[in-house]
Amino acid sequence: MSVFARVRTWWKAVAHRESVRQQVETELEFHIEARAEDLIRCGLSEDVAWRLARAEIGRPDNQNEIYRSAIGLRLFDEVGGDLRYGLRRLLRNPAFSAVAVSSLAIGIGATTAMFSLIYAVLLHPFPYANANRIVNPVIVNEEHPKALTWFAMTRSQFTTLSNANCIESLLGFSGANAEITGGALPEDVFAVYLTENAGSFFGVHPLLGRNIQPSDAQGGGQAEVVLNYRFWERHYHGDRAAIGRTLQVNHRNYTIIGVMPRAFAFNDTVGVGDIYLPHSLEPNSVYIPWIKIRRGVSLAKSDAELGAIVHQFARETPQHFPKEFHLQLQSIVVPYQQHTGRTLYLLLAGVLLVLLIGCANCSVLLLARGAARRHELAMRRALGASRWRIVRQLMVEALVISFTGAALGVAASWWLAELPMRLARSSFPAESVVRINLPILAFSVAVALTCGILFGLAPALSLSRPGLASAIQSTVHRIPGQHGHRKLNVLIGAQAAFTLLLMATGAMAIGSFLRVTHIPLGYNPHHVLNAGIMTHFTDPAVGVATKSRTSRTAYFEQIRQRIASVPGVLSVGISIDVYPPYSGSEQKFEMLGRSSAQDQDARVLEVGQNFHSTLQIPLRNGRIWDETENQRGDGVAVVNHAFAERYAPQENPVGLQIRLPDLVSHAPLVADSPASAGWRTIIGVVGDIPDDGLGRPVLPAVYVPYTTMLPPYAQFNIRTKGNPLSYMHALRGAVASVASDQQISRGASSLDSVLAHDPQWSRQRLFSILFGTFSAMALLLALVGIFSVVSYSVEQRTSEFGIRMALGASRTHILWMAARTIVVSAAAGIAVGVITDLSLSRILGQWMNNQSARGDGLFAVTLLLAVCAVAACLIPAGRAATIHPVDALRTE
Amino acid sequence: MTVSVDLPQGALELLILKAISLGPLHGYGILLRIQQISGDRLEILQGSFYPAIYRLESRGWITGEWGESDNKRRARFYRLTAAGRRQFKAESQRWNDMAGLVANILSVAPGEV
Repeated sequence: MSVFARVRTWWKAVAHRESVRQQVETELEFHIEARAEDLIRCGLSEDVAWRLARAEIGRPDNQNEIYRSAIGLRLFDEVGGDLRYGLRRLLRNPAFSAVAVSSLAIGIGATTAMFSLIYAVLLHPFPYANANRIVNPVIVNEEHPKALTWFAMTRSQFTTLSNANCIESLLGFSGANAEITGGALPEDVFAVYLTENAGSFFGVHPLLGRNIQPSDAQGGGQAEVVLNYRFWERHYHGDRAAIGRTLQVNHRNYTIIGVMPRAFAFNDTVGVGDIYLPHSLEPNSVYIPWIKIRRGVSLAKSDAELGAIVHQFARETPQHFPKEFHLQLQSIVVPYQQHTGRTLYLLLAGVLLVLLIGCANCSVLLLARGAARRHELAMRRALGASRWRIVRQLMVEALVISFTGAALGVAASWWLAELPMRLARSSFPAESVVRINLPILAFSVAVALTCGILFGLAPALSLSRPGLASAIQSTVHRIPGQHGHRKLNVLIGAQAAFTLLLMATGAMAIGSFLRVTHIPLGYNPHHVLNAGIMTHFTDPAVGVATKSRTSRTAYFEQIRQRIASVPGVLSVGISIDVYPPYSGSEQKFEMLGRSSAQDQDARVLEVGQNFHSTLQIPLRNGRIWDETENQRGDGVAVVNHAFAERYAPQENPVGLQIRLPDLVSHAPLVADSPASAGWRTIIGVVGDIPDDGLGRPVLPAVYVPYTTMLPPYAQFNIRTKGNPLSYMHALRGAVASVASDQQISRGASSLDSVLAHDPQWSRQRLFSILFGTFSAMALLLALVGIFSVVSYSVEQRTSEFGIRMALGASRTHILWMAARTIVVSAAAGIAVGVITDLSLSRILGQWMNNQSARGDGLFAVTLLLAVCAVAACLIPAGRAATIHPVDALRTE
Repeated sequence: MTVSVDLPQGALELLILKAISLGPLHGYGILLRIQQISGDRLEILQGSFYPAIYRLESRGWITGEWGESDNKRRARFYRLTAAGRRQFKAESQRWNDMAGLVANILSVAPGEV
């Protein structure tokens, strides 16, 4: 049997329904005619012959049905009929349909959005070909097993490694800061040098032009450059004619050969490059590896092979490796799974709860409305429909609802999925692009199907129950306590429990976010720009001129004065390693006249004399050092309030002597002051600013002049009138007026935007917004569910209430009767929700990374849900109580 | 003598294939030819005749085309497809094998076992 022939027959029968019907009828009519003529020839009268011919073969107008059944379209036709009937019913009850469809659309939309996010971030975050086989070899230092580092290789080591058996392809890269020259002002960019197999290794189709290819290695590296998408947008405003133009980098001209697509943001190891260049241009630069493992080779096996090779490298170039280490091949997606996985799974759990509540809502609506359909279904059974046939019809109706909901939901998810990315960009891989694609559509269809079955099956089974002959008469006698009530109560209870769980989690998220945002910062982050400046120490002339500590200090001070003279700049401070809410490094200190029996640690922050006044950190006691002391660097220190509290609780810390024995650097590029590790007098106490992250206790801190240990890099904290970013051009000009090539480093940003991009802050914000939205959706859905159940039951029992009132029942009694069962099940649901929440709260708190007290929020949401639920019961129940007994009795 | 019998599963289809294998025919013609071949001893239950034709066509073993009948009317003529010809061969082989087998068993005399 040929499948093709069968499909062709079906297609003809479905697509050309009418012409096929006519053909079938014509064929049969011919048959009858031919038969009748034969019979007449045999001597029968015309009248009898025709009658006999027709009786033998059947009626032509029935034949089409026989045809469709014979070719196997019966089920299709019946389901099609159910489908049309389902759609008609939906259109006939617009209020019911709107509520049911939107309940599901909300749930399915949110679930699809979350799944597409998980797909984009965890399952398929990278645009690279065979990304699942690309690994990042990391070095695990045995002394600090948690700090993973990458390692660098020489050219010959790179060649050795690329010949390893388990490696299909090996990419080597290195990164360097570079500057775009030749324009009005120099611009800092990050250059990534890639081995020339990059094009085939990544397998990413460039947006424009071509990628780096092996021929680019010729002649010591072709002077060619490939642009990152964001750099191309920023620098060339997305001009497609940029291909073939010249870009001057570090005073050398490069031809632009390609632009990578937006999803390509290589890489997280050294930093996302603005420009990509052939590695052969920098023959002495190191090679950091990314490995594409051969298909079918296990990680463990590759680990063993490469581990031996890398340990050999460590013997050749010990400066590139820690003393004791082992190699670990880490799939490139692992860091994101660790950082973002929990966040996303938590959010997925949240949307699944919303989806379950939506499904429960549909079940509730179908069950409640089913009471009104009992008559119709009983009639169908009486006319010979099997139970299976009725269940099928009800399931098709449920699926019509769920697929309509899914279609709306998928449309909404397009927008919803972008939301978390916008709210917490830094938590996701730069490459992740959320789009609706085949796996996601398949997922949402599966969800719709599951939902349809989930919420449709219980009502279908309950409504199709046999032995409902009495139901035919039930239009007359609407009896309380019918089938399905227990199911309804359980569903309402479950809805209430889920809703409470979501609301409590939402309240916790919002509470901890509010706590983070309302902590007094201790400094004023508004209108302050943090701009880094790196001297050109590699440039021989500049390197010599700013090599000594004094000349380097003078250089930075000169820049500071130029910046301060820009109109609109109010104040300028200098710091080395201060990025509130994270600052400084942990160091041991000694205090004169105290035993250092116990560990005494403090954060050490190197700043200039204007730092505190620029950030508006209050001076609690004493004074800040002046310019001369700043240049000397030694002998003075200022501590924060937390330091004074912890280490000098009973006395005035001003005047105490401390020493920071580790405050020395032997790095060739860093210039130390003569007695940087010597004794210092505490001359002042300043207020606390967060130095260990938002929402975490402030650690004791010691401020010392930034000239104490001076790298060729400093940060300028610039307070301006109004938005500091609008001064960028003027500031660049001021900096370049000191030395013509001197640029401001990439990533200059305002302090409040640093706060907004803080992972902790943005995570909390993401959680509070999303869980707040989920709980609002859940509450709305649950209330709609309760409201419709009570409304339907009031409608069903109107005549019963009429009788009761006629017999003297009070209005309050009627009210209570109408609302009782639902109030009780909602209350039970809320109780279950509270218990579940209390038992889950510790795990949830850990996952959300917050320490706030859960009690208040839980109490508040319980109260809110209870009040809303009672209101949703009483409004429809009130209608029952206010109806006139005579009217009620007449409703039949 | 005309007998009206319930043919075993698949037999009607096989008979239809046989009728058509002798040359294209319309539905009524097939019916007549089967009766004629059987020497008018077999009358087919007409309710199952057309469904069998439809099934054969939907399986791609026979194909129908509109043409003109002897009495100048539009009629649908069926002929075997290549797949149908193969199917007919295989089916008749199977049928003969089975019939022979059954006949053999039935013809066994009491002493022969």
